[in-house]
Amino acid sequence: MNKPDDKELMERCLKGDRQAFEALLVRYEKPVYNAAYRMLHNADDARDVTQTVFLKVYENLDQYDPAHRFFSWVYRIALNESINWLKKSNRQQALDYETADQGDGPDAMANDEQLGEGMEAALMRISEDYRAVIILKHVLGCSYIEISEVLDIPEKRVKSRLYTARQLLQERLTQQGLH
Amino acid sequence: MAIDSKIVELINADVDGEISPADKQELEAALAANPEAQAMHAELSGLGRALNELPDLDSPPHLKHAIMASLPAAQKEPPRESWFRSLLAAPALGYVGMFVAGALLTLSLVSSDQLSDRAFTDVTGLVGTMSSDVPDGPEVRVTHIDRPEVAGRVSMRNSGPLVIVDFDLVSSGPVDIVASYADQTVWFNGFAQLESPGASISAESGRVTMQIDGKRRYALFLQNPSARDVAINLQFRSGGAVVYDTEVAIASDASGG
Repeated sequence: MNKPDDKELMERCLKGDRQAFEALLVRYEKPVYNAAYRMLHNADDARDVTQTVFLKVYENLDQYDPAHRFFSWVYRIALNESINWLKKSNRQQALDYETADQGDGPDAMANDEQLGEGMEAALMRISEDYRAVIILKHVLGCSYIEISEVLDIPEKRVKSRLYTARQLLQERLTQQGLH
Repeated sequence: MAIDSKIVELINADVDGEISPADKQELEAALAANPEAQAMHAELSGLGRALNELPDLDSPPHLKHAIMASLPAAQKEPPRESWFRSLLAAPALGYVGMFVAGALLTLSLVSSDQLSDRAFTDVTGLVGTMSSDVPDGPEVRVTHIDRPEVAGRVSMRNSGPLVIVDFDLVSSGPVDIVASYADQTVWFNGFAQLESPGASISAESGRVTMQIDGKRRYALFLQNPSARDVAINLQFRSGGAVVYDTEVAIASDASGG
């Protein structure tokens, strides 16, 4: 038997079916957690944000617009909650990374592991808007159209934002001696 | 040789896996003729690969359980316009309403300004409501709890002569939290809750017991006049059994990190 799609599960949720909500949770818990983690670079915060996201989804089921796909609504809440969390906790990861990077120098050899860690650091050193678009594309695997839906911006702007985000990432990686 | 903006766009579309077969052909022809475009393509493709290969993380165990346990018991009903809200629709009355609400909030707030300078040795049901997060010093000690019965975090911070213990927890049913501290110079000096109605608490010398059921955010205020290091044993009890037991501690000079 085919698994029910998001739309069907949402309809059941709206009728008060908690099992349907649990099915959506199982489906989206991991991508939401990964998105939050990449936005915040902190496992504990990502967990808290993931919990908040699903609580908000549940509390606002009646505000869900069926004209949009469920995942775009959830991802939007996840990114907004992550940005709010950053503002609320006044985190300064970017500065932390800049300080941490000073030891490496431009001639550091870049292997895959270093590149992975460097990439995570570089991600935290670009603004939230650019980080969000990179996460949607490369972590959540969204298409241009899907990103446009999540961020509520035209597809053309998605492309230009991705382009700029990658340029900034390259710059940060170069500063870290990893590119 | 400069790279045409159309080619830059095609390079990015290729990296994103969103290029049409016709555009792909055009891109390949352009790359063959332009070494700079080739270099850009290689560089962006490498960057895209590195991003795609960022590890896919598993969400923490029990997170689903914690989320399900934190959901309200039933779907909320659509909000109904109360007579009070209707009244506040008039701007002048709105300000009056805000003032009254602010005054009521102030009266119900348990903050360090209002804390007594002496111990509550036997307190039952002393409950305040925080209007926002517990302010003051940064969190300096964080402990995570991840049990089927209860999950979340407990953090501690110093704030002048106070030690503030912040509980951000969710339980699958009624859970008692017993916080015990051996240092007799430390005393219970207040309790607050954030966005969680119906808290229940009791305190006696060296021990505070709180009940949670579902998602709760509590703050426990301990007076530490001797500015000593404070250690608290936390026991989580469900159905009479201890489901988690831990000690949390904070140094008197801990201020961050």
